[in-house]
Amino acid sequence: MGLSVQTRAENVATFRFIHVFLMETLARWVPKTREMEVKVLFGRHIWDLAQQADELGKRTHELRAPLQFSLRPIEGYTRFLEEFAATETTPRKICWFYAVMLPGLAVRYQRYLASTDRLLDEPTVRVMERVLNDFTRMRAESQALIDDLPQLSLTEDEWKARLAEREAAEPDIVIHRSVVAVA
Amino acid sequence: MVQVRPEETKQVHGMTLRLDPLREECFHVVHSDAEMHEWPGMSPISMRERLHRHMNNETGAIEIAAQCLADFPEAPWELRMHLARQCWDESRHVAALYRRLREIGGHKGEFPISNFEWSVTCMLDSLAARLALQNRTFEAGELDLLGQLPAKWREVGDEETAEVLESILSDEITHVRFANQWVKRMVADDRRLLLKIAMAVRFLSAVTATVAPKEGELSPVGLVFTAPKSRVPQVNIEDRRHAEFSDDEIEQFLRQSGYQSIMSTGTER
Repeated sequence: MGLSVQTRAENVATFRFIHVFLMETLARWVPKTREMEVKVLFGRHIWDLAQQADELGKRTHELRAPLQFSLRPIEGYTRFLEEFAATETTPRKICWFYAVMLPGLAVRYQRYLASTDRLLDEPTVRVMERVLNDFTRMRAESQALIDDLPQLSLTEDEWKARLAEREAAEPDIVIHRSVVAVA
Repeated sequence: MVQVRPEETKQVHGMTLRLDPLREECFHVVHSDAEMHEWPGMSPISMRERLHRHMNNETGAIEIAAQCLADFPEAPWELRMHLARQCWDESRHVAALYRRLREIGGHKGEFPISNFEWSVTCMLDSLAARLALQNRTFEAGELDLLGQLPAKWREVGDEETAEVLESILSDEITHVRFANQWVKRMVADDRRLLLKIAMAVRFLSAVTATVAPKEGELSPVGLVFTAPKSRVPQVNIEDRRHAEFSDDEIEQFLRQSGYQSIMSTGTER
């Protein structure tokens, strides 16, 4: 059995919250990052994140929630996002976003895709498959930049491993609400 | 409304402006056009400086659009989508100009740079005022410049740069257009924004008057600055129309420029 319409709306709205948060974080980072090529990389991906949020936000409306509806994730994950947004150095920003945040989100999308009815919920499936394709391209673009400018590569493997562990610590980050609250 | 903290500002000739966005150490950041190394004509060094300056201006345009996304989370989603799209466009412009700069033998940090547009625009506390300055004033001014520049590059046989500039022009029209549409909508919803916009325009005039090179002064490369009026480019009437400036607004720009475009548009059509 797949997910209820309400559960789907809650999941999609939570993903939308995260995409808007990531878009705003990259936007805040652009003037505060020294390297021109990294500003360009973030500038490109601000638009990707906005389009992804937009598609998710249109889908919430189809799932009996408001248009462009967002739901804040559980507190632990929100704290993780806020800590991410406060990252200071360029190699850490790049590592956290492209090597921890996007792969972690990809796992969450795949988990959703494995649990939903792919026929009844096909519009969501299509949106998420496009997001996953985008993530692959975005990560490839960041890797190409690191190949060009190796000084942007992070050498703190332990730090990265700890972050990835924390990211995966909460498999379900959706705050489930009453039917009235979502509709 | 956004409040700029004192530690986020700088003083330039007695004016309080937004502190520069971060730049790599290879760049020498100056605070006014008077300190830029502007070479005359289309000599190799002039060509490299033009691309270098334009590249940094486009970097500033990414930063301003991005800062608007960060500072105004309550703005309508549709408008935020335009700003996000602008971030992408300006990023592609920077990449294309940097590629071309390297192709003609230039490099990052070869000439001084100025973040004037950022320093003025990001002092403003409303999105309507920022759009009025950055998109409807600075970027609209770029429409005028880009209406003329491709021909200059073609005259010296540089078709590649001319094509880069024409691509940039078509993107910039969309940025000016969405700002025109949204500023009108925002003002229709809240007439008080007109005052914010008027104050922003006055602020820009005051800063420009303070930092602009004076007629007769020598530039860092030893050239005499001409009167500001003689540096105003022809008004790009056609593209300003594409960007949805009204006929009255275009008439006003023409008056300000001394009707410089009348002859050229008359012969082109």
